[in-house]
Amino acid sequence: MPGFEIDAPGTSQLLMGNEAIARGALEAGIGFASAYPGTPSSEIMGSLAPVAKKMGFYAEWSVNEAVAIEAAAGASFAGVRAITSMKQNGRSVVADFVSTIVLTGLGKGGMVMVVCDDPQAHSSGNEDDTRTMAKWFDIPMLEPGNYQEAKDMTKYLFDLSEQLDSICLLRSVTRVSHSRGNVKLGELPRRKYKAYFEEAHDTRNPKQSKFVQNPPPPLHAAQHRRLVKAQAIFESSPFNWYRGPEKADLLIITAGSGWLHTQEVVKKLKLENRVGILKLGTLWPMPEKLVRQHLNKSSKILFVEEVDPFIERNVMELVASSPDIPRPTFYGKRSGHLNEYGELTPDIIIKAITGILGIPYQGRDADYAKKAEELAKNLVPKRSLALCPGCPHRATLWAVKTALKMDGRNGVTTGDAGCYSMGTGATGFFQVREGHCMGASCGIATGLGRLGQYDFNQPVVALCGDSSFFHANIPAFINGIWNKSNYTLLILDNNATSMTGFQPHPGTGMVAMEEATQVIKPEDLCRAVGARVEICDPFDLKQTTDALLGMMADNKGGKVLISRRECQLVKARKEKAKYKMHVDTEKCVGESCGCDRLCTRLFRCPGLTWDKKAGKSKIDTVLCAGCGVCADICPQGAIIKEEA
Amino acid sequence: MKTLTKDPFNIIIAGVGGQGNVVLSQLIGNALVNEGYLVTIGETYGASQRGGPVMSHMRISKEIVYSPLIEEGTADIILGMEPSETLRMLGRFGNPAVKTIVNPRPIYSVDVAGGEAEYPDFDKLLEAIRGLSAKTWIVNATEEAEKMGSPIVANTILVGALVGSGTIPLDRKSMEPVLEDRFPKALALNLKAFDRGMALINQ
Amino acid sequence: MAVEAKGSRELFKEVIEAGLCTYCGACSGGCPYLVPYKGKIALLDNCTRDEGQCYGYCPRTFLDMSAISQQVFGVPYGEDELGTVKEVMIARSTGKRIKEKGQYGGTVTALMSLALAEGLIDGAILTRTGKDKAASAYLANSAAEVLQGAGSNYLACPVLETYNRTPKDSHRKLGIVGVPCQVIALSKMKQKPPENRPDIGDVKLVVGLFCTWALSPDGFYKFLKENVDLPKVTRFDIPPPPAKRFDAYIGTERKSFPLEQIRQHTMPTCAYCLDMTAEFADISVGSVEGLEGWNTVIVRTRTGAELMETAKKKKKLEIDKLPAQNLAHLKEASLLKKKRALTEIIKRSGSKNKLLYLGLSPRLVDKFLNGQGGK
Repeated sequence: MPGFEIDAPGTSQLLMGNEAIARGALEAGIGFASAYPGTPSSEIMGSLAPVAKKMGFYAEWSVNEAVAIEAAAGASFAGVRAITSMKQNGRSVVADFVSTIVLTGLGKGGMVMVVCDDPQAHSSGNEDDTRTMAKWFDIPMLEPGNYQEAKDMTKYLFDLSEQLDSICLLRSVTRVSHSRGNVKLGELPRRKYKAYFEEAHDTRNPKQSKFVQNPPPPLHAAQHRRLVKAQAIFESSPFNWYRGPEKADLLIITAGSGWLHTQEVVKKLKLENRVGILKLGTLWPMPEKLVRQHLNKSSKILFVEEVDPFIERNVMELVASSPDIPRPTFYGKRSGHLNEYGELTPDIIIKAITGILGIPYQGRDADYAKKAEELAKNLVPKRSLALCPGCPHRATLWAVKTALKMDGRNGVTTGDAGCYSMGTGATGFFQVREGHCMGASCGIATGLGRLGQYDFNQPVVALCGDSSFFHANIPAFINGIWNKSNYTLLILDNNATSMTGFQPHPGTGMVAMEEATQVIKPEDLCRAVGARVEICDPFDLKQTTDALLGMMADNKGGKVLISRRECQLVKARKEKAKYKMHVDTEKCVGESCGCDRLCTRLFRCPGLTWDKKAGKSKIDTVLCAGCGVCADICPQGAIIKEEA
Repeated sequence: MKTLTKDPFNIIIAGVGGQGNVVLSQLIGNALVNEGYLVTIGETYGASQRGGPVMSHMRISKEIVYSPLIEEGTADIILGMEPSETLRMLGRFGNPAVKTIVNPRPIYSVDVAGGEAEYPDFDKLLEAIRGLSAKTWIVNATEEAEKMGSPIVANTILVGALVGSGTIPLDRKSMEPVLEDRFPKALALNLKAFDRGMALINQ
Repeated sequence: MAVEAKGSRELFKEVIEAGLCTYCGACSGGCPYLVPYKGKIALLDNCTRDEGQCYGYCPRTFLDMSAISQQVFGVPYGEDELGTVKEVMIARSTGKRIKEKGQYGGTVTALMSLALAEGLIDGAILTRTGKDKAASAYLANSAAEVLQGAGSNYLACPVLETYNRTPKDSHRKLGIVGVPCQVIALSKMKQKPPENRPDIGDVKLVVGLFCTWALSPDGFYKFLKENVDLPKVTRFDIPPPPAKRFDAYIGTERKSFPLEQIRQHTMPTCAYCLDMTAEFADISVGSVEGLEGWNTVIVRTRTGAELMETAKKKKKLEIDKLPAQNLAHLKEASLLKKKRALTEIIKRSGSKNKLLYLGLSPRLVDKFLNGQGGK
């Protein structure tokens, strides 16, 4: 397929929103890109890194988002255009740094942070709306309303960033980042950077560097002045537009994915002559003059945006502070016409518009709908997410379950972010008992492990992946050792950042630009701070269980068990299955006493199926990865593994 | 540019995580963009890769960039990579005029294996799909692909079937460069699979 | 009262959580959910079956003494303090190595070696202590391997788990050495043969050990670990009354603990046990008061009698008569255990008509309660 990087200006390509953003960065001539993976943002760096060498810029997967944005700032300070991208969780991680870089401003290189929000939390632990951060920290912010804008805005933000001397923010959402549409490509510049940190100490003119956030109040005032300047620019930005009649029955103010849905719905309802749409691309600071010009178009205003009522409140603020504007009726999240949580769909918007205007709307044929919904409800099986066949996490979590139950003190596990967080459900035997954010597994375990004085005697096991260990667990882990907290850290080391697409991390010996580098082993780091470390193979269930039992029984010192085995999806690309599996139906006792369908009912590898008629288990040879673990859990020795 | 029978023309590609839904939608989408159409594809990503239901929404238009989400009840074609997932999509996006192309090879879910869910009786399932579709093509893509020695080309067979159905403004010629781009090393096999799909749907 | 069909849920409620588990291992080994660990049976996951062998074979679920006696001996359960008896005698091994390693007379070790040699059994399930002196069960296939099991450790050990784990299609003839609760569980298996487990018909010999109580593998093991250099210990001993000691030997050096201190670590369930002499075994073996180096032996079945006869003939055992006074003491002790256990059971259940797990006729209940065993 044609790559997003092709040098074919003027042609139209089908690009994913994230690829379009990456393309915009290329067209802006970036010299530096950094990110930590996170759905739905990963494909930005995922696109940039493989072409970085070829295109002559630097790209890295950083250890976490905070480091990524700081690294990008370093580049900017030395005059190199830099982009950093993250998901909404990462945005919270970078908040401290962002709150200070808005005070100091940048170097000569423009700097853009891209945050991809995940309304509906399709692959996230929350659905935070990033836009509030722009208002909170005074950052100029744009949001693309289609794929072309995703590219164009990214490119434009570098110019704006340099013009304003301010970091700029591009906010995207899942339905833009993770969908595809036509993008007309622009020129690819060839920039040659000469990086230089101009604020180096000068003996003949000693003074404080520009890049110091001191004293804050005047710097804060300076940032406000930058915003005023940005607002003036935004008033005539081509990313804002109005479509519709001069006098409308309803004015819709929208942005981002809201625009894509709204445009379609108004066209579908044939309301182009009754309903006006003000599409905003520059969301903060809001172009107030522009908005005011359109507020008199209708006495009814509907706000369509994901997730929070951000524009809605800003317009209300504007109206409240402008006595000359006639008070319209506002519709949106506050009025209950649109959802205050979850994502928007065309259906929701149809309902809102037809409801406000009192237009009858008939969707698909009612009898058909009833029949279709009933058939689907009655026949379509539930399809839960599952850890992949052959996933080492399944084996580790099985051992965790066994060890905690054998130990018998109602041991608890704390979780982190990664594939193993599916362990909160049946595919991981409900073993993950707590799940918040990256780095929290060790942090929370540290707290639990210090409650002995209150009769707390449940063993605590902190679960984290290899990538999440490096991301933010290290400080928490050191804290636990320093403060003599009693818990076991279990690192599920599968040698990849698997949940987001197998990106490298410090333990893999690779960097984003596909070069080998030093391997930083979690065990070396843990031992260096005095922890006792054991390494086990999760496919050896007994070894893993015994190791964990041993650590839980030991009340002293830092304890780390590394359950190490490569991600099956990565492994499958390199080598064939180790075992050929089959079920000896003579030996399989199915639901009888002595099994009760342990493999399909509880172990639940997708490679195992249940032949209800025969009352026996079966291997789905297409899905089975040949790991052989089910042979070891089968109480009757009925699952047979043969060397493939 | 050929005319569209409807603008936008809405295709839903339904399947299970890991089947290659995204690749399939990209093949078709790229060919359409090459032909000058405005295309939007909404994809389900992230966690749903791991064995959950996956769908792509494809909008084809000559006029505007449509939303990546199709309004419920307005699919024109449902391309089902798995039969029960085809019915799941009919439940939400079907309408009396919808056409369905179905790969009949079932993929059981862990819930079925676990006993909390039941996979429907195959004949009942097909009957439901047929009953909810203006036209249904059964394309034994997996079976044919296995015969060709490569289960993965089932997706290319389905692309061939979709193109062969005559419902979208594409033909073999428009697919060739896209297949060549995507499968530079296995072009011959994929062209063969594509042709097999075209032939199967016209049987 | 019929045996109710119940499963692991009830086993947990009525036995394990009620503190009645004997840690015999009958529920585990043939089951992926129930695993013995440090003196407790752990439930690894949810078994949905309403009826389970775990519940059925547990010695602390309903135990119809008469039915079991009928099954094993062909006679109803009677009044004899020692259960069904063919003959009582004393014995000691003639083997030098057995004598060195065995507890008291080494009779059990000699009998199991003999049964193997004679082809009565192909393997023997025994208990041994590891370097760390924790008890574990194992399958011995030769006389040399049998010798590893010689000596007592007094820790409860889930021997029947090892039995349940033996390959079910191997059809090896097995001998099992167990304490009374384990012998009871085996008798329950004889009554209703297990499914998806080894064939109970292959168990050709059951040797029971006298038992007044067993020590907790968790609590007592911790106690030992804190008080003696476990890996160096060569032998444990509880000498017959009136010593009231628990001894740990390191070579010839002896470290003693008052029995009262040790008794804090007995399995709570032992208080509800009526069986001191493993009444449903083929042969039961214990120590003898005042006769150091000898074992008391109760022969109960034909299999037991034949094996003793062979032992005598082949000079593997030196056999003698149990002095009348010792027999009287033994009976007294056995009756005392019955009386104490019944008293505890009634205390807990609140009624003579509800005996927790025990199915025993009111006549025998009264007989044992009023027996002249108590002091």
